[in-house]
Amino acid sequence: MPTPVLMPQMGESIAEGTIVRWIKKVGDAVDRDEPLFEISTDKVDAEIPAPATGVLTEIKVNEGETVAVNSVVATIGAASEISKQEPLGSAPPPAAPSLDSVVPRDVDAPPAKPAATPRKTNGRTAAKPSEDDSRKQRSSPLVRRIARDNDVDISQIHGSGLGGRVTKNDILEYIDSETGTGDSLGAEAPGAKAAGSGTRDTGLGTRAADPGSRVEIKPLSVMRKKIAEHMVMSRRTSAHVHSVFHVNFSTVERIRQQKKAEYEQLGTKLTYMAFIAKAVVSALRRFPIVNASLDGDNVIYKKDINLGIAVALESGLIVPVIKHADEKNLLGLSRAIADIATRARSKQLKPEEVHDGTFTITNPGQFGSQFGMPIINQPQVAILGVGTIEKRPIVVDDAIAIRTMAYLTLGYDHRLVDGATGDQFMAEVKQQLENFDAQ
Amino acid sequence: MAKSFDVVVIGAGTGGYVAAIRAAQLGKTVAVVEKQSALGGTCLIWGCIPTKALLEHAHALKVIQHAAEWGVTIPPGSPAINMPQVHARKDKIVGGLTRGVEFLFKKNKITWVKGTARLAGSGRVDVVEGDKQTLEAREIIIATGSAPRSVPSVTIDHTRIITSDEAIHLKEVPGSLVILGSGAVGVEFASIYRRFGSAVTIIELLPRLVPVEDEAVSAELEKSFKKQGITVMTGTKVTKATASSSGVAIEADTPDGKKGTINADVLLVATGRGPVTTGLGVEEAGITLERGYIKVDELYRTSVPGISAIGDVITLGTGVHPQLAHVSSMEGIITAERIAGQPVQPLNYDHVPGCTYCDPEIGSVGLTEARAKERGYDVRTGTFPFGVLGRAKMAGESEGFVKIVADKKYDEVLGVHMIGPRSTELVAEAVLALRLECTVEELIKTIHAHPTFSEAVGEAAHAAHGAAIHM
Repeated sequence: MPTPVLMPQMGESIAEGTIVRWIKKVGDAVDRDEPLFEISTDKVDAEIPAPATGVLTEIKVNEGETVAVNSVVATIGAASEISKQEPLGSAPPPAAPSLDSVVPRDVDAPPAKPAATPRKTNGRTAAKPSEDDSRKQRSSPLVRRIARDNDVDISQIHGSGLGGRVTKNDILEYIDSETGTGDSLGAEAPGAKAAGSGTRDTGLGTRAADPGSRVEIKPLSVMRKKIAEHMVMSRRTSAHVHSVFHVNFSTVERIRQQKKAEYEQLGTKLTYMAFIAKAVVSALRRFPIVNASLDGDNVIYKKDINLGIAVALESGLIVPVIKHADEKNLLGLSRAIADIATRARSKQLKPEEVHDGTFTITNPGQFGSQFGMPIINQPQVAILGVGTIEKRPIVVDDAIAIRTMAYLTLGYDHRLVDGATGDQFMAEVKQQLENFDAQ
Repeated sequence: MAKSFDVVVIGAGTGGYVAAIRAAQLGKTVAVVEKQSALGGTCLIWGCIPTKALLEHAHALKVIQHAAEWGVTIPPGSPAINMPQVHARKDKIVGGLTRGVEFLFKKNKITWVKGTARLAGSGRVDVVEGDKQTLEAREIIIATGSAPRSVPSVTIDHTRIITSDEAIHLKEVPGSLVILGSGAVGVEFASIYRRFGSAVTIIELLPRLVPVEDEAVSAELEKSFKKQGITVMTGTKVTKATASSSGVAIEADTPDGKKGTINADVLLVATGRGPVTTGLGVEEAGITLERGYIKVDELYRTSVPGISAIGDVITLGTGVHPQLAHVSSMEGIITAERIAGQPVQPLNYDHVPGCTYCDPEIGSVGLTEARAKERGYDVRTGTFPFGVLGRAKMAGESEGFVKIVADKKYDEVLGVHMIGPRSTELVAEAVLALRLECTVEELIKTIHAHPTFSEAVGEAAHAAHGAAIHM
């Protein structure tokens, strides 16, 4: 009996996914849980395992195509069932059948199993904005005309007018800045051959290079595109403010040195990040508003603390989530962090491991940054940036002393979290780290 | 002990009194220092209101003069204006409005301090004449306005050589009147006194009347003025004016290089208005001035923290700041709201409407055709004459037009210029169109009621896109 392969639900606010690569070809034999194809969504690139053993009989969605979650992308059946339609034309994939009819009872491979009830988003899906979304952004007849002529998505523009209305100046500045970006991109490939026809709409804005100019043009990866959309959306959504605290890591450093060997015996490395995660969890418990979301006129307090840890990849960024981080001790956090970081880099994350985050920690300091000003990972309301941890001279009891120090930055959404709360939260994180209780 | 207020406003003109009311509405304690005996400043007492009242008298006379055309029979003898009655009606209007401002002050619990203000440093204002005292203010708003200003070659004597301050009070209609300057003040008094029966000559240094308006408007006004018997001398420079008991001798250089002398009963100098800061102590307070005007930023902050300035007395340092009541009051609102911590945005001075109540009247907003070209726009225009409209024929109005200046590339409405019946009212639609960044296409798609003068706006938009319907 043929088994339909579905586009998995990769996160609560994700409506679609893109097939990046088919690992198997039509006619290939596949084992259950063997990697079948690679997908990309706004939060994760992942290899999706086969839901059943058999032969890949039909591929319904070509590489590079984007389809709605739960759409059937392929069929696994007996060898004799190879589809006559192959190779694929450009016909759109069939509409997603209802869940109950297509999810086989005996298949329990988590990645392919869609979330039981796709939760309704609060209107801020990071999917490509439709014309309807553009209309929701207030603008003027002139702005709409300019947008049409220049192929600009108005919803991407910050409006400076009354009620956030996009004005003529806003869109002209936007077009100018977009053009500027394109020029600097072009400079990265000085030797590249000129593109014949210039650039088209990148999905984010407007023409970045004139026809005939000396640039190399490569399509954005799905991940890059999604990161771009998500970051701009976050900037537009939240009233970002940042508080920076200087934190003494000497105590943490001492404990780390003491326990290093013990942890290695237990099969994991004790990193600063585990201490920071522990301190953050403790502070989040005291300040639940920082572990919340804003939904229209409601505040949604999250009962669980699910910590997102930003992991830099070669060509992007991913934020795997440690679920129920508040139920883990230092050892548990160390293991969880090492585990998700490794699997993020090898594309082995499961889809449910990148959503439901309630707070994110990012670590620009690993590359030497003194501190970062991170952008909030929506729909969360705060993000902690960890600066480089190093020995610095500080004043202790009126003498200059050398201590292991780092700047921690909290980026938070002023719509929900005021400066006083943000700073108290940070003061708590600082106090937890500087007086870390090794037990 | 000094009385203390959140905000002290100096000057109760349309800038000052509106700022005071807005600040009071937002919960501030407010005092206004005004040296005149009534509230309302230039606009209410000396400018907009009395001149427009006189213009309505002129309009009434015009209708009666044309009574026969309307089939109205009036007794024999030519209709004439009765100046004492004119002034009585005008003064009653002015008095009613200034008392209206007094009422608004009481309603908003604003303290009116009668006297002359002087800045005394660190949030203090001395009232040096009248109700002498020292006021303490967290914020000071200077709204001292402007006064008529002459040119170097002409000295005002207030009898034969006068300014608008005297022109609104002339007890008799002068037999002959020469007006120096063809801005709003000049052309409005030209219309008033020509209708009242004076022989009027208007002298303008620049090559055309109402030089700030679109050239087409200037041309239309000149045509109409000449038809009404007003002598128009553009490109003419007055070199000397000598008053005597019998009149004024005005010497002038004409554009063709000739010198001439014009004799008139009265010379009205309408060459502009200068800032009023005398005795205020602005320089001692450390406030930066530019050509005598108080220099402010785009949110009307002077160089001294805690002191703002609005209205005719300011310059933004970006060209000519329009000395108009509606600009001052909007600046007052923005300043009051900023002081009260409300979110404010700078004013777009390209969206300031100008209304000139000469006959035919002028309403305009935005860029003129020439200015739009200077700014580098690929300009297209559409013009529609009022005379074609049914509504205008009924009203016996055949002069004037609506002209739309638009950007060809994005179809933006850049400016709307009208001269003719109801232009000062019709311009409101155009102001909104600019404010909301309207395209010509949107104006075309907007229904203009029939029969109205406003149809000319819709038709001019059609014309900008190629062809008006009714032409």
